[in-house]
Amino acid sequence: MSEKTINLTMGHDHRGMSLEQEKMAIEVKDWNLYYGKSQALKNVNMSLPQNRVTAFIGPSGCGKSTLLRCFNRMNDLIDIVRVDGKMYLHGTDMYDKRLDVAEIRRRIGMVFQKPNPFPKSIYENVAYGLRLQGINDKRLLDETVEWALQGAGLWNEVKDRLHENALGMSGGQQQRLCIARAIAIKPEVMLLDEPTSALDPISTLAIEELIFELKKEFTILIVTHNMQQAARVSDYTAFMYMGELIEYTDTDSLFTNPQQKRTEDYITGRYG
Amino acid sequence: MERKNFGTHVSALYNQYLEDLFNQVLEMGSLVERQLANAVLAVQNADLDSAREVVALDKLINREEMEIDRLCVRVLARQQPTASDLRLVISAIRIAVDLERMGDEVVKIAKLVSNLAQLDDQACRNLQGYKQLIEISARANDMLKMVLNAFARLDVKDCAAVIEEEERVDDLFKVAMQEVTTRFKQSDSDVECLLELVYALRASERLTDHARNIAESVIYLVNGQDMRNIDAERLSTLLEELND
Repeated sequence: MSEKTINLTMGHDHRGMSLEQEKMAIEVKDWNLYYGKSQALKNVNMSLPQNRVTAFIGPSGCGKSTLLRCFNRMNDLIDIVRVDGKMYLHGTDMYDKRLDVAEIRRRIGMVFQKPNPFPKSIYENVAYGLRLQGINDKRLLDETVEWALQGAGLWNEVKDRLHENALGMSGGQQQRLCIARAIAIKPEVMLLDEPTSALDPISTLAIEELIFELKKEFTILIVTHNMQQAARVSDYTAFMYMGELIEYTDTDSLFTNPQQKRTEDYITGRYG
Repeated sequence: MERKNFGTHVSALYNQYLEDLFNQVLEMGSLVERQLANAVLAVQNADLDSAREVVALDKLINREEMEIDRLCVRVLARQQPTASDLRLVISAIRIAVDLERMGDEVVKIAKLVSNLAQLDDQACRNLQGYKQLIEISARANDMLKMVLNAFARLDVKDCAAVIEEEERVDDLFKVAMQEVTTRFKQSDSDVECLLELVYALRASERLTDHARNIAESVIYLVNGQDMRNIDAERLSTLLEELND
C-alpha cells in the first residue's frame, strides 16, 4: 500500500532493496593494507553499489579513511604502504601496473574534510581539472563550469561573481565548490571523506541534500564519524573496526537490527 | 500547527516520509470507516454479504498497521525526529494500534450477524438493545470520521467533541446493557442470542473508546498535551480550553 504514495523516481530512493539486487560499481576482494609492519586493513571483501550512497562508519583508527583512499590510489603516495588483494572499477583492475593512475583518479573524484579550494577564482577552480584534460574551448568550459556549479547547488549564489577569489566564500560554499570541482570532470564515483565535519549544521544539511541529488549521476562513498549523518544520508552502511569490515548492509537494517554485537554497541553508544 | 509545516525540512526525503505517514494513517482510517459502515448495514439488514466484507477488510487493516510501524521505525532510526516530528511518529504508531483494534471490534459486531443467522432467532432483533447496537456503532463511525479529519487538519476542536461524545455514548451503552440483562432474567430460550448481543454491544462500546484514544493522540500531536488519566474536573477545563 505504501508504494502508491512513493513518488520519488526509481533509483533516487530505493526503499526495500538489498545489496543482492544492486548493480555494483566497485568490487573489493581479499584486500589488505600495511603501513610498514602494521596491518591497517584486514581481508576486506565488499562490493559498492552503483548510484547509491554507501557510508563507512566506525571508531577512529578503524581503517575507514584508509580504505576510502585506496579507491583512488591516494595511498600510493605514501612510501611505506603496501597493498595486497584486488579492487575493480566496473571490471577494470584498479591496481593493474599497466594502468595510468591519473585515469583512475579522473574516474574517482574526492572531496576532503577541510574545504580546500585553490587560491584562484571560483570559475578557475571548477575549470582547472577540465583544462588539465586539454579542454580549452571557452564555450565548452563555460557550459561545464555552469553545469558543475548547478549540480553542486552553487550556481545561483555565484553566477554573478565567478571571477572572484574562491577563498572569500563561506565554509559551506567552499565545500560545495570542491564538490563542483570534483564533478566537473564527470567522474563515475565520488569519495567524500567526512565532508561536513568542518561545517555548521545548516551547511551540513544542505550538503546532505546535495548528496541525495548527486547519487542520481554518481556512485557516492562517504566516510563519516557522525553516525546520525550516515543514517540520514546513506542507502548502505559499512561498519569497520580495527581494520576489519564487521557488518555491511542496507542502512535501515543496520540501524534498526544490526546482526553483530560490536555494531550494536557502537551505534548505540556502548563503548568499552 | 499546519500540516504543510511537516513538509518544510531541508531533506526532501524526510518530507516525503512524513507525508507518507499522514497518508498511510488516513488510508488505514478510511478502511476502518468502510468496514464499520458495512458492519452497521449488516446488523441493520441482517446482511451476510456485508458481514463477510467486514472480515475481508480486517486483513487489509492489519497489513496497514504493519506498514505504518515499518515506516515509523525507519523514520526514528534514520532521521532522529524531535519536537512535532517526533510527536507525529509516536502518534502515528498509537493511532495505528487503535485503528487495528477497532478493526477487530468491528469483526465481532459482524460476527453477531452470522451467528444470529445460524441461531435463527428473531427475538434478539426485536430487542431495544439491538437497535442501540446500531446507534452506538453509527455514532462510533461518526466519531471516527471526525477524529480522522482532525488528524488530517491537525485540528483539536473536533477532538474535544469526540471525547465529549464518548462519554455520552457510554451512557447509552449502560442503558442497552441494562435492558439485555433484564431480558436474560426473563428468558431461558433466548440466552444464546442474548450473549451474542452482549459481545457485539461490548465491541461497539470499545469502538468509541478507541476513537477517543485517537482523539487524545491527535491532541498530543498538536499541543504536546497528554489527555490520558485526567480527573473529570480537569478534563472539563482542558476541553473548554481546546474549544476556544
